[in-house]
Amino acid sequence: MSQAILTRRDALGAAACGFGQLALTGLLNTSASAEPANPLRPRQPHLPPRAKRIIFLFMRGGPSHVDSFDYKPVLEKRDGETLPFDDARVIAKSGKRGSQQLLKKPLWKFRQYGESGRWVSDLFPETARHSDKLCLLHSMHTEGVAHGPATLFLHCGSTNFVRPSMGAWINYGLGSENENLPGFVSICPSPGNGGARNYGSAFLPPVFQGTAMGTAGGPTADAKIRDLVNARLPRQQQRQQFNLLRSLNNGQLPPGTKDTELEAVINSFELAWRMQSHAPDVLDLSRETAATQALYGINQPQTANFGRQCLMARRLSEAGVRFIQVTYGDGSPNPAWDQHSNLPKHAEHARRVDKPIAGLLEDLQQRGLLEDTIVWWGAEFGRTPYAQDRGTGRDHNPDGFTVWLAGGGLKPAFAYGNTDEFGHVAVEKKMHMHDLHATLLHLLGIDHLRLTYRHSGRDFRLTDVHGEVVHELFS
Amino acid sequence: MIGLPTRLCLAAAALACPASAADGPSLSPRDIAFFEKKIRPVLVAHCYACHSSKAAQVKKLRGGLWLDNRQGLLKGGETGAAIVPGKPDESLLLKALNYDSLEMPPKEKLPAAVIADFREWIIRGAPDPRRGRAATISKIDIDAGRGHWAYRPLEKLAVPDHPGPAGSSTVDTFLLARLEAARLRQVAEADRHVLVRRLYFDLIGLPPTPAQIETFVNDDSPEAYTRLVDRLLASPHFGERWGRHWLDVVRFAESITLRGFLFPEAWRYRDYVVRTFNDDRSLGRFVQEQVAGDLLPATSLQQRQQNVVATTFLALGNNNLEDQDKAKLRMDVVDEQLETISRAFLAQTIGCARCHDHKFDPIPTRDYYALAGILRNTKTLNHANVSKWIELPLPVAPARTAQIREHNKAVASLKARIKALQGTTNNKGLSPLPVAELAGVVVDDLQAVTTGSWMTSQFTKSYVGTGYRHDKGEQKGEKTARFRPRIPRDGKYEVRFAYTPGGNRSPNVPVTVISADGRKTVTINQKLTPPLDGRFISLGRHRFLRGGPHEVAVTNAGTTGVVIIDAVQFLPVKVSGNKPVATKTPPVKSPGKPAKLRTLQRQLKALQQQAPGQPKYMSVEEEKAIADTRIHIRGNVHNLGAVAPRGFLQVISLDYRPAFSSNQSGRRELGKWIAHRDNPLTARVLANRLWHWLFGAGLVRTTDNFGTTGESPSHPRLLDYLAARLIQQDWSIKSLLRELVLTRTYRLSSRHDQLGSESDPDNRLLWRMNRRRLDAESLLDAMLAVSGRLRTDLGGPQIRSGTTNDYNYRHDSNRRALYWPVLRNSLPELFKVFDFANPSMVTGRRENSSTTPQALFLMNNPWVLQQADHAAERVLGLRHGDRHRVQLIVRATLGRPPTPSELESMLAFVGSENDDRKMRLQKWAQVIQVLFASIDFRYLR
Repeated sequence: MSQAILTRRDALGAAACGFGQLALTGLLNTSASAEPANPLRPRQPHLPPRAKRIIFLFMRGGPSHVDSFDYKPVLEKRDGETLPFDDARVIAKSGKRGSQQLLKKPLWKFRQYGESGRWVSDLFPETARHSDKLCLLHSMHTEGVAHGPATLFLHCGSTNFVRPSMGAWINYGLGSENENLPGFVSICPSPGNGGARNYGSAFLPPVFQGTAMGTAGGPTADAKIRDLVNARLPRQQQRQQFNLLRSLNNGQLPPGTKDTELEAVINSFELAWRMQSHAPDVLDLSRETAATQALYGINQPQTANFGRQCLMARRLSEAGVRFIQVTYGDGSPNPAWDQHSNLPKHAEHARRVDKPIAGLLEDLQQRGLLEDTIVWWGAEFGRTPYAQDRGTGRDHNPDGFTVWLAGGGLKPAFAYGNTDEFGHVAVEKKMHMHDLHATLLHLLGIDHLRLTYRHSGRDFRLTDVHGEVVHELFS
Repeated sequence: MIGLPTRLCLAAAALACPASAADGPSLSPRDIAFFEKKIRPVLVAHCYACHSSKAAQVKKLRGGLWLDNRQGLLKGGETGAAIVPGKPDESLLLKALNYDSLEMPPKEKLPAAVIADFREWIIRGAPDPRRGRAATISKIDIDAGRGHWAYRPLEKLAVPDHPGPAGSSTVDTFLLARLEAARLRQVAEADRHVLVRRLYFDLIGLPPTPAQIETFVNDDSPEAYTRLVDRLLASPHFGERWGRHWLDVVRFAESITLRGFLFPEAWRYRDYVVRTFNDDRSLGRFVQEQVAGDLLPATSLQQRQQNVVATTFLALGNNNLEDQDKAKLRMDVVDEQLETISRAFLAQTIGCARCHDHKFDPIPTRDYYALAGILRNTKTLNHANVSKWIELPLPVAPARTAQIREHNKAVASLKARIKALQGTTNNKGLSPLPVAELAGVVVDDLQAVTTGSWMTSQFTKSYVGTGYRHDKGEQKGEKTARFRPRIPRDGKYEVRFAYTPGGNRSPNVPVTVISADGRKTVTINQKLTPPLDGRFISLGRHRFLRGGPHEVAVTNAGTTGVVIIDAVQFLPVKVSGNKPVATKTPPVKSPGKPAKLRTLQRQLKALQQQAPGQPKYMSVEEEKAIADTRIHIRGNVHNLGAVAPRGFLQVISLDYRPAFSSNQSGRRELGKWIAHRDNPLTARVLANRLWHWLFGAGLVRTTDNFGTTGESPSHPRLLDYLAARLIQQDWSIKSLLRELVLTRTYRLSSRHDQLGSESDPDNRLLWRMNRRRLDAESLLDAMLAVSGRLRTDLGGPQIRSGTTNDYNYRHDSNRRALYWPVLRNSLPELFKVFDFANPSMVTGRRENSSTTPQALFLMNNPWVLQQADHAAERVLGLRHGDRHRVQLIVRATLGRPPTPSELESMLAFVGSENDDRKMRLQKWAQVIQVLFASIDFRYLR
């Protein structure tokens, strides 16, 4: 599909029949440098990129790493023992270290998969089959003990201050590969835990903010780009109306001069008109074969919703969108994976996402897209290896957890870093969320130290004054 | 990891450290060998990347700490000396290696053996053969900093060097002088159609109607223009337009992103701002009220209300109430306020100085904490797991106060009578009741079998046993509790359920009794005081058999609010082979009481329904403990340095040096200092803002940054003239604006000019008027005005009643855009698309983008289509032919008559006047929508 996408110059040529004579002359006589600046035009990366885009599968709420990808046999052996731990929440609230906690073994059996022999629990049997594609980061740690701060930190690199989200930074740094589509799309984002800030542009120009398609909990079928279609007018009639607009606008250009600003306005309508005919196809999942749909689990009620979101992510990445976030969650203020009690409920969430994720990995690989697409699975934090309040669930754990990456430029079948023997605190090759941000930007060809924006008298970046690129992950 | 530095300044002071002759004492070969073998390799491998001259060269030096020379180690970085030779326990380096307070190296802790080597090395006196000198960080030179244009004193009412041509004002003359020097001329004045539209939108934000346009265009009087200006300045819509500009600067919003909490009282501040602009009150006073209105004297009730509502300004920050590190959150709130105050009033970026001396501007960290101390004495949030902003009772008229007092008295008296009748049936004043004092079988909450996480509490004292538990109001459907008694004998028992009541409790807790009679579920309202003893509610009498089922089960499924479990009591009523047990609770009631009680309760309810409402406003309070604050090293709240006495920016030298009181925060002094007539920043900043909002670009285009990284003024003397005028005219915004719109320059055409475009394409010298885009609000208001739906009433709360959070709010209003709720998670689509100011940050200058979402919005958005429909109805309702209709609708939208080609193309589009009405409506709506999307509608020429 990417060949079918017109360059900007082609597009203007093709649309020129609709331009007034004056505008046409103006455009054709213009040198490239004097063209109205399109803020989303593709930009040269700082470094040779290893990947072109990211699909972020956000497991909102924090799935338990010790029940999924971080196998800790000690937990099984010492299940039920009470031991002192430096619990992040207790420390934040009281400064008290070494609170007594009840160890809790994983509720799912771990097995080894693939040639790499990675341990994955029975929560994710489908994803496990792709474990040789995964690059597991076992030593993640982050900031924020509660969902709000940690979720904002994950997306924007700050627990409290209003900062641009990662997708907005990438959009700003690289522009969009496809003029008919936004460069940053968030599919069914949740309104909770920072809501729109998690795909916002903060002080970056609003043009770089994420485009939300649908909302959490709503049916994926409603996940659309706003105002993309005129609900009233058939295409032919709207064309007549559009021609009237063209003639009015061209007549309103000041005579005898080139006016880049107003040409940008006229241009925005031309682009909108083409987007209107092009984008709905990208979002139309019915164009996929039944086999592909089944691969994502769309044919089964439990996996249909998340499957559609993943398939849409693939279609968008194919069409050149740089950063696509898929959020697993519902519309409630409580994030789905947040099992403070009733840990067995993890199984329900896993069932809904496992098959679609495996389908996405497989589909991307079959189409050769995995080579330059990074799939990023993770959450704002993990969970404690001990029971919360000695009950049936686990509390938040920002001090050690696992995320995995796959695809573009990353070592497959690789595991990086470690938590302690219980899976509580990252101890070996610690990787802070800032480091993950820096590393992901690096893969896209962006030097996180150089991607800056001057605001309020100083230069800001996604990683603040932190962030180390972990080169060891690169293939 | 807590309290990390959160500021970034990339231009780190990369200072070379020249090799020098700083030779140390002679070292033994053994010491040298130890250092070379055990210490140096570790430093090189794990520390130099961030703590060496090489790191400094690539701007990666951290903490101002050099570890690649001996002096650097001894001198240390921002947190002090890295080592104290001979004293390992006082050496910060060793603490860091041990991950004690600091954690170094950050990636992972070094092996214990390596750390032991370092300990030994320090005990030996830290012998270090390396040379080199620690670089010193340059100190800020505040005196030199005062030379920057913005910090220099205002020039007293500057006058142009040469008089201007006839008809030009002082402002024009300043501008013409620069143009002349650049050999440029101003273009001609704009025509009257352009002028009338410009004035309406600029001064009141609304389009002129066709009739208003004609009146002005046909008014030949030389006073016509001035008359129109004065009329618009006097319009109540003036304050709506100009107040909204100010709301951009103060990051006004009516909700908080986190959890979508609504600010139900924020609208009062919005209305206060509008009134301030309408009444043309002093901007200097306006500044002081926002910073410290609660501390200012008031001579009338109205003034008192004004003063306190103004302080909502301080409380509007988009803070993360959930942050668990409350010490950090408190300083983050202070930082947000400081950032807002300094950018809004002073156009200074002092946030940099939270972590280190400002790298560009003469603002040392000490100044930051001197100001922070003032705000740290101010309470903005009440801290809890989820902290909460502060709402206070609004001062009201004495009559109203008396009314409220009378009402409260009547309620109290009724409540007292009810209480007397109920005996002790009120949990107030109850103390915990030991289980042993209760009769029958008691199952305390600790003995209950639970699923899910229940939190123990002793907050409300009327509990049974050692405490009670609650579900935190979370994970509904995931928590249960089962109370299983040991039934001694078969028989009938009265089952009583104990809970501690409260306003946040669940009104609908399902409690199921499983007995020999089967299952019976009772729904309990835990907001109400339990009727028995203030502790228990009866679940009825049930038969229990020793071998049979006996359980009381509670679930939080389907509940709202907090669910409480405390204890369950099983009181034998009729038990085989035994006499009924006399119960200790409750006291026996006399039969006459219930009826009377019910009457009183009815009266109470009726009275409470007629309660005279106590209005509230959003604000801050003075902290109880007033103090200076200490410098936070690298911004870390857990790493405190020297005390920074309260004060202001040293670079601004004023003859105002108040002593700070030990029982007031210092905000009053801060407000005075900002609004001081000799403060060179405030008047310049405000005058420049007015210029920016009127002309589309400030004399200093970086309206929020007058520091050295901002732009310099294009016309410094003009800026000083305007600032001085502002002060001279008692900070009157209307007087200054009037002067500006009456200039010839404001009246210029925005037409292109060959010479001007070539030598001054950005129009910095004002050779023409800037063409400006209608902002989101003007666009919305104009469409509503054309559709005939616009409501022009002023003020009032706007969030739809019954709204509990700001998620997916449905915006639907015919009020002006100013009154559409500014909800941080749900901005109106039009706002989002058309560059509305981000309501979480100071925005003096909005973006000005031309994007496809804007085009899509105008082409397809249902709201736009709807406004076009309404307008079409109006147009077709006119008793005119289509030609005349086009004339009118083009005037209404574009503010001018249609060009001949516009007229013809629109007539051709609408087709025959004989089409059926439905078709006609459709066609006309489409034409009007095209006008909405056209350049001349969206721009002010």
